[in-house]
Amino acid sequence: MVKIYSTPTCPYCVMAKDYFKKLGVEYQDFDVSIDEKAREELVAKSHQMGVPVIDIDGTIIVGFNRPEIDKALKA
Amino acid sequence: MVYDLIILGGGPAGIAAGIYAARKKLKTLLVAESFGGQSVVAAQINNFIGFKSVSGIEMKNILEEHLRSYEGIEIKEGARVNEIKKSDSGFLVSAGGEFFETKTVLIALGSSYRKLGIPGEKEFEGKGVFYCSTCDAPLMKNKTAVVVGGGNSGFYAVLDLLPHASKIYVLEYGDVFRADPIYVDKAKISGKVEFITMAAAKEVVGEKFVSAIKYEDRQSKEVKELKTDGVFVAIGYAPNSGIVKDLVKINEQGKIIINHQTQKTSLEGIWAAGDITDILYGQINVAIGDAIKAVLNINDYFKKS
Repeated sequence: MVKIYSTPTCPYCVMAKDYFKKLGVEYQDFDVSIDEKAREELVAKSHQMGVPVIDIDGTIIVGFNRPEIDKALKA
Repeated sequence: MVYDLIILGGGPAGIAAGIYAARKKLKTLLVAESFGGQSVVAAQINNFIGFKSVSGIEMKNILEEHLRSYEGIEIKEGARVNEIKKSDSGFLVSAGGEFFETKTVLIALGSSYRKLGIPGEKEFEGKGVFYCSTCDAPLMKNKTAVVVGGGNSGFYAVLDLLPHASKIYVLEYGDVFRADPIYVDKAKISGKVEFITMAAAKEVVGEKFVSAIKYEDRQSKEVKELKTDGVFVAIGYAPNSGIVKDLVKINEQGKIIINHQTQKTSLEGIWAAGDITDILYGQINVAIGDAIKAVLNINDYFKKS
């Protein structure tokens, strides 16, 4: 399961979501600018506050880091 | 296999160079960590010629699509350039764990957010220290934020924060705000923003997350502390020239010194274009033009040799 914690204005979040769409990977999107519970989850999972945070089956990736995303998707 | 040209960078300069190199049928590889460059974070661009208004992401998509419409260019995306070395055929480029041989190189690695270089900044990056206000301003909902930098980028951060933060401080090192008055006025009208000039940021403090910033009042020399949940650093950009600083000549700001007619660097076989070079005006349109000059000059170089 892929989860992405994002804000609507964040370009790297858009790029990450576009990348998942291109790969045909389904994801759940949480808008942390309005969803307080998701904001707490983001901090708990990544120990930081910046977006995007991507959770790929428990592997936490901070930022739109393509090599890390590719690695986590293959695992 | 040896490439004619390796282009490093996927911003406007790198993309423009790729398009021209493909049209000149140079055997080219473009290496980019990602496409779009620093402007992808711009909410709106109003001076990208030909477009009245586009977002950074839209601009990136337009440019990238144009580049990808050429089949004659190889693209390695998602790879960070680690090293460029001289080799028998010209240069050896190491990127994303692979090695590539090439006769010529065009460096278009651009620039990225300049850091303050104060204690706590690195430690709290992402934990309350932010550089991309478009991205992270919404995390300051009903919180206090400090923006360091009173130029245009500082006030862009203020405007990004206004709908979210309950209180915003702007710290400016000098005695006046250098931002365009239109932005300063908008910040003033909100009533949420406090302006502090002659302030030198000294330390970011906190436990797990940022709780305050210390700054020196440059007039009284007194060190003061502001309680805050976030520190947005907006003090301009620094060139990404770290990996080439021993290869080509750079100036005191770390920008690659080029011949402004040809875009040649101090080392034969290497050209550079865009914000990583010692140009006076860092503009998307300028970077595109300069990258095109570089490729045309590289093409001339092959015709002569």
